[in-house]
Amino acid sequence: MSTVALKRVVVVGNGIAGLTAADTLREEGFDGELTIVGDEIHPAYSRPALSKALLLDGDTLSSHTLPPASHGARELLGVRATGLDPDRRLVTLDDGTSLPYDGVVLATGSRARRLSGLPDEVTLRGLDDALALRRRLAGRPSVLVVGGGPLGMEIASGCLAAGCPVTLVSQGEPLTAQLGPHLAGVFTTAARERGLTVVRTGPARVAGRAGDVHVALDDGTVLRAEVLLTAVGDIPNTEWLAGTGLVVNGAVPVDTRGLARPGVAAVGDLAAFPTPRGRRRVPLWSSAIDQGKSAARALVHGDDAPPMSFQPYFWTEQFGRTLKAVGPLPAAGEPVYVDGEPGSGPALMAWQQEDGSTTAVALDYRIPVPRLRRMTRTPA
Amino acid sequence: MKIVLDRPRCEGHGLCEEAAPQLMHLDDDGELVLDLEEIDGGDVALAKAAARVCPVAALRVQ
Ligand SMILES: Cc1cc2nc3c(=O)[nH]c(=O)nc-3n(C[C@H](O)[C@H](O)[C@H](O)COP(=O)(O)OP(=O)(O)OC[C@H]3O[C@@H](n4cnc5c(N)ncnc54)[C@H](O)[C@@H]3O)c2cc1C
Ligand code: SF4
Repeated sequence: MSTVALKRVVVVGNGIAGLTAADTLREEGFDGELTIVGDEIHPAYSRPALSKALLLDGDTLSSHTLPPASHGARELLGVRATGLDPDRRLVTLDDGTSLPYDGVVLATGSRARRLSGLPDEVTLRGLDDALALRRRLAGRPSVLVVGGGPLGMEIASGCLAAGCPVTLVSQGEPLTAQLGPHLAGVFTTAARERGLTVVRTGPARVAGRAGDVHVALDDGTVLRAEVLLTAVGDIPNTEWLAGTGLVVNGAVPVDTRGLARPGVAAVGDLAAFPTPRGRRRVPLWSSAIDQGKSAARALVHGDDAPPMSFQPYFWTEQFGRTLKAVGPLPAAGEPVYVDGEPGSGPALMAWQQEDGSTTAVALDYRIPVPRLRRMTRTPA
Repeated sequence: MKIVLDRPRCEGHGLCEEAAPQLMHLDDDGELVLDLEEIDGGDVALAKAAARVCPVAALRVQ
């Protein structure tokens, strides 16, 4: 599509992916009509902060705030998109109006997967969830977290730091599926030292009735706590795209530039894009930013836009330890120590993965991400 | 305008540097260095883009 045809762009979803796409459209010279629709009433904020500093931050309540947007778009906040008509090029909204477009950016992200429909099952996805959880933690309730992934572990860490007794229910050893056994061991050791109770199980269920919920483990054991939290993955918000043919297996598949079709970009947690390990969603912060930039360029410049060069960046902070990783995870086997040594101190490590790629990991170790990226380009 | 870094909050992710390498970089110890603090013109948009990508909101443009 040529620049001439692009007069009106609608961005649906006001998270970091939509915001980055809107900013980039402007940087790339798009000066037409730009509209952003977002169903949260809050201006875009940092979601990763919700399970980290925001749960701890005594009182400042600012670790999630992002600087005000500078794209000058018309912002429709608190408004939900209910449908997309790709033939007539219209986005329909829940206030009964619709927005015509020449280019559209689908950026409605994802939501927490739940194990029940019970209101007592708490999940953490949005700012309102985080603020509500903070208020409850102030009373130091007992907490049961279901889910041994990075999010479940960060939440457990935050709850422990708030002074709550915390039990974490995990399928297998926490973090192993996401980080690999070595790094998982580092964090679960720190977690247990800080007093986290870890319960390993097969598939667990959340059951009961409003006001009295429990977790049932696969062996029949029943666990209860004052606060029951689950962190068991996310589901892309693609229901509003029903009937468009854009959704495959719940996500929106896109090409290497982030386009689902000419004039239709999809970015962030809802998009599945080509990676060296196949077409998949990579629901992470810097992935959302890379996708937002790349797709905006594709809308403005068409085939002249460069394909996205993607390399996963992941970080987590929990139980007093921090990790930054560039390259594919989980990391199998034992690392090569570039600096530091095995044990509990700071370390810079590299894994040579089976597919020939390198994963560079900094543990409690300050290092610029560009340097970590460079490490993955030279064999360990 | 001015770029302000909340240093204790900065975790050295360096995502800001990737957004605005003209204005800031991480030194070898992973400490963020602002190469330019007083900014105007096109640099303001760049600085804001850098502040936006920081996942811990350690940068402000004011
Ligand atoms: C608690 C938590 C901690 C995280 N920690 C990390 C981390 O440490 N590192 C990391 O890399 N990643 C982390 N992530 C993941 C990261 O935050 C996401 O990948 C990123 O925010 C995705 O951005 P997005 O813009 O695609 O989606 P979102 O941020 O979900 O934005 C989508 C927006 O669209 C809105 N929306 C949905 N449907 C509609 C509709 N029909 N109409 C209008 N608006 C709609 C949503 O309400 C939302 O505001 C974390 C996520 C969570 C929840
Ligand atoms: S992105 Fe934020 S945390 Fe990372 S180096 Fe820049 S200011 Fe520091």
